[in-house]
Amino acid sequence: MASQGSFKYVAGRLAKIPQAVLALTLIGLICLVAIASALQLPLSPYAYDQTSTLYLAGPSAQHWMGTDELGRDLCARVIYGAQLSIAIGLTTAGVAFVIGTVYGAIAGYCGGKIDTLMMRGVDLAYSLPDLLVMILIGVLIGRGTFGILLALGLVSWMGTARLTRAQFLQLKNEEFVEAARAQGQDHLSIIWKHLFPNALGPIIVALTFTVPSAILSESTLSFIGLGLSPPACSWGTLASDGWRSLRAHPHLIFFPSLFIFATVLSFNFLGDGLRDALDPRTRLSKLK
Amino acid sequence: MLTLILKRILMALPVLFLVATLSFCLIRVVPGGPFDADKNLPDEIVANLKAKYNLDKPLPEQYVLYMQRLGRGDLGVSYKYVSRTVNDILLDAFPVSLVLGGLALALAVLVGVPLGAVAALGRGRWQDTLAMFLSTFGISVPGFVIGALFIYVFGIQLRILPVGLWESPWHMILPAITLAFSPAAYLARLTRASALEIVQKDWVRTAQAKGLSGSATVLKHIMRNSLVPVITVLGPLTAILITGSFVVEYIYAIPGMGRFFITAVMNRDYDLILGTTLIFAVLLIMANTFVDIAYQILDPRMRISD
Repeated sequence: MASQGSFKYVAGRLAKIPQAVLALTLIGLICLVAIASALQLPLSPYAYDQTSTLYLAGPSAQHWMGTDELGRDLCARVIYGAQLSIAIGLTTAGVAFVIGTVYGAIAGYCGGKIDTLMMRGVDLAYSLPDLLVMILIGVLIGRGTFGILLALGLVSWMGTARLTRAQFLQLKNEEFVEAARAQGQDHLSIIWKHLFPNALGPIIVALTFTVPSAILSESTLSFIGLGLSPPACSWGTLASDGWRSLRAHPHLIFFPSLFIFATVLSFNFLGDGLRDALDPRTRLSKLK
Repeated sequence: MLTLILKRILMALPVLFLVATLSFCLIRVVPGGPFDADKNLPDEIVANLKAKYNLDKPLPEQYVLYMQRLGRGDLGVSYKYVSRTVNDILLDAFPVSLVLGGLALALAVLVGVPLGAVAALGRGRWQDTLAMFLSTFGISVPGFVIGALFIYVFGIQLRILPVGLWESPWHMILPAITLAFSPAAYLARLTRASALEIVQKDWVRTAQAKGLSGSATVLKHIMRNSLVPVITVLGPLTAILITGSFVVEYIYAIPGMGRFFITAVMNRDYDLILGTTLIFAVLLIMANTFVDIAYQILDPRMRISD
């Protein structure tokens, strides 16, 4: 059972991994800025600076990251983009968690023919490149924020389902599950109280990696013109805007790229850290 | 061995059929067609165009027609690149992407595998930290960021390498390095994980107990066995390279499959989208079939079941 005690234990182990602590701090900061700006943004991402000729200006004290071709403050746009990009990453992980664990749990717990029937299609679709499937789905449902979220959600749950199934297949023959069955517990309580808590660790690690890969997919799709398009403002669309003026105004692509990179890197370090913290075989003194 | 290969190829055919059917449905169900962008065309001409390409017929009939042509190896015609067939376009584009992908794969293996090995052998020491930092860096930085950075530094500032098109070996350097980043990082992580597992095996301890030198143990016993998983991930690697080629061919303006796929999707160029998707599917299936066969050659225990 994943009790308060084991949560504290994992958190304690995670705190001993410097990369993970640093990553978690950075993610916290970016999320904080994104949330704070959703409530109150000092400069609107759509506000034109009409009082001066400050369009396409480089970074300055007034506009920390410079301005774009319409004189809009890039820092405000990057912060606004953080809301959208982080929201996309977290929503995708949420969808992957809900659909993936339920689907994988059913397949893994039932086993046999049901398992084969449920997992064949998933295995096939899983072997196709995510971006290819997302682009094809995008053709079908359009390219708004909702379309991107749907495409990301439809693709991302399959990894979680495969992982959950594998965990369940392995765990359901363990002795403690047998004991629960002998006690006469029904299927649902075996799944909920015994299998799920024990499978949760690797699932959470996998979900930590789902967030950055969703952020990467969205920004890549938007960058090549098959994702979000203006006036939507994510890190991907900002980088795509900046790409067009790379030669003369590299700051426009530099700042959105930096934030994509920093966020994705942090989530990847956090995922690595969580995996090590959850794995009792890792001796953390060695990691220091 | 031959029967095995034949069996695999026969198994691949229904999968291809499924991919073709699914992508056909996915693309044709949506409203909007390839001639929507030409808004100035009179209705009669649009009707004529649709009739010419059989787009006026009911969907099931279009599907049957498409499948019949596919059976003859005809992928159809492009609606945008007028008078060019899809076969024609893909015959030009495929070799370009193949060279690009091959170069990137070679580069990724040459960098990724040693990096992973160094990390595993120096586990917990600075080599490990550094190598794993580099590989995390590699999977975290988007292709378009590396591409933009390379173009800015080498093309705009230093002006030492061409940053667009596909004309000479010089044109291949930056795209290949850009494309190699994420597969190299992926391979490094994989090699490290599999080498760490193998270091703990009994027969490695036996080799060391026998008095075999450190480097001999590493080369003959650890590395050789660590390479098996590397070959078995050729499927995912191909997928990574295909995904990467969308971005790399877009930013370096390379006339390969990835770029044609992207523009075909933008133009709703049905046959070209389907044709490209099918070639990607064939590539992936070939990679996975190759893995199945290689696995049997590399791991003698697998042969018994054959």
